[in-house]
Amino acid sequence: MFDSNVFIEGSCHNATENGKIIGYEMQTHITYYRGIPLSMINFVEVEVDGEKVSREQIRFTSDNIDWFTLDEMETVAEIKWDYGMPATVRVLQEGGLSKGTHTVRLTVCTRTAYIPFPLEGNRTREVTIS
Amino acid sequence: MSRIKTSVSLYSLQYQYMNGKMNLEDIFRYMKELGVEGIEILPDQMLRGAPMLSEEIYKEWNRLVEKYDLGLACADVFLNTNLYKNRELTKRECVELIKKEIVMAHNLGFKVLRLVSRVPSWILEPCLKTAEKCDVSMCIEIHGGLAFGVKKTEDFLAEMIRLNSPYIGIVPDASIFCRRVPRIMDEYCRQVCSTNEELIGYVSEVFVQGSDLFALGEGRGLDMDPKLKSLIKDPGKDLFYASNVNGYENCDVSCLDPYVKYIKHFHFKLFEITEDGTEYSIDYKEILEYLHKHNYDGYVATEYEGNRWILPGVEIPEKEQVEKHQALLKKYLIEIQG
Repeated sequence: MFDSNVFIEGSCHNATENGKIIGYEMQTHITYYRGIPLSMINFVEVEVDGEKVSREQIRFTSDNIDWFTLDEMETVAEIKWDYGMPATVRVLQEGGLSKGTHTVRLTVCTRTAYIPFPLEGNRTREVTIS
Repeated sequence: MSRIKTSVSLYSLQYQYMNGKMNLEDIFRYMKELGVEGIEILPDQMLRGAPMLSEEIYKEWNRLVEKYDLGLACADVFLNTNLYKNRELTKRECVELIKKEIVMAHNLGFKVLRLVSRVPSWILEPCLKTAEKCDVSMCIEIHGGLAFGVKKTEDFLAEMIRLNSPYIGIVPDASIFCRRVPRIMDEYCRQVCSTNEELIGYVSEVFVQGSDLFALGEGRGLDMDPKLKSLIKDPGKDLFYASNVNGYENCDVSCLDPYVKYIKHFHFKLFEITEDGTEYSIDYKEILEYLHKHNYDGYVATEYEGNRWILPGVEIPEKEQVEKHQALLKKYLIEIQG
């Protein structure tokens, strides 16, 4: 239902820190119609060229200030992912994505207070790394 | 004499907001241009950090309210009982969260707080003093699939009657008065999920017969209407549709009779204004006449939810649908109220 919120076009690129490519990242809106604390994000998954990235490699920030692992996010009740504010999903992988085109699939799943099932959204994009 | 006022839930323009086409001021201006009398907002949607809003956000809100001079119809709030993965919030935690929402609504200038369906009735008594002090009513949403006959809603209504306070009420949602299932949902499920035609046809027939799938399923203590269940041939294609139809009820407006004095606000759910300018599923005139007869003095709010049934890749016609809906409501209100 919220697939169109996921994976903002043109947002996927390699991530650099201290001049070194430490992984790749992409931006996404929330799979819900309102903002919620990070503890209510059920999971985030990334798949590249048909291969699922391990949960341990994923980092998440809703404000570009605090970054969390998915396990850490389970207790983050004071920081929200606001509606309309893109969050960044980063995958730690030395060297990032190789040059060329990749098929990247992002899935975001949130828990809601009154809908009995979690709200999952996903989108696959062709990403070119130059 | 009734004094029914028009409003729009800003939820209706959520994609304009999310995609950066309209900011909050653009939306306020647009509401003013449309001649809408009041607005409803989900603070969690368009006010950063809600319910703990910064001074900056309050300042900007007050500036917009003053500049555009719009009535403040209702603040829609939620209770994150499942804030944590490993446990439900305790009663004390829930009460404290609702109190924060009441204070925020008061600071924003709202007098009606819509509590989402399934908010437990036991928050009412411990929150009542805060509600009185803030002059804010706590009102449960009566939404299709989560309305009369659902235990948590019935518990809330019983507690509302027991406490008998002007600060506790209801917000009915027009999704309980669907005379047909939204055809845009049928089409979405047909094209995106490949839902089988027999299932879609059966649901339409149930509505023609004057019933709905909640009444035939959960309303009778079942998990699902047995015939509906039997028509789920491929869960991957059919279950989404079969689960969603539960949210559209075909009740008679008289179901509100016992609760009429508790109505503080009304969601006029909107799925699709068709070519002839009316809504495909809901007859608002019938509801407005009912409210007029009962001297309702409050807002009715456009709540566009057809957005979720727009086919992938197609522009969501939020503004167009809101404008047409407001035109329809104004026409009816002139006919009814003069």
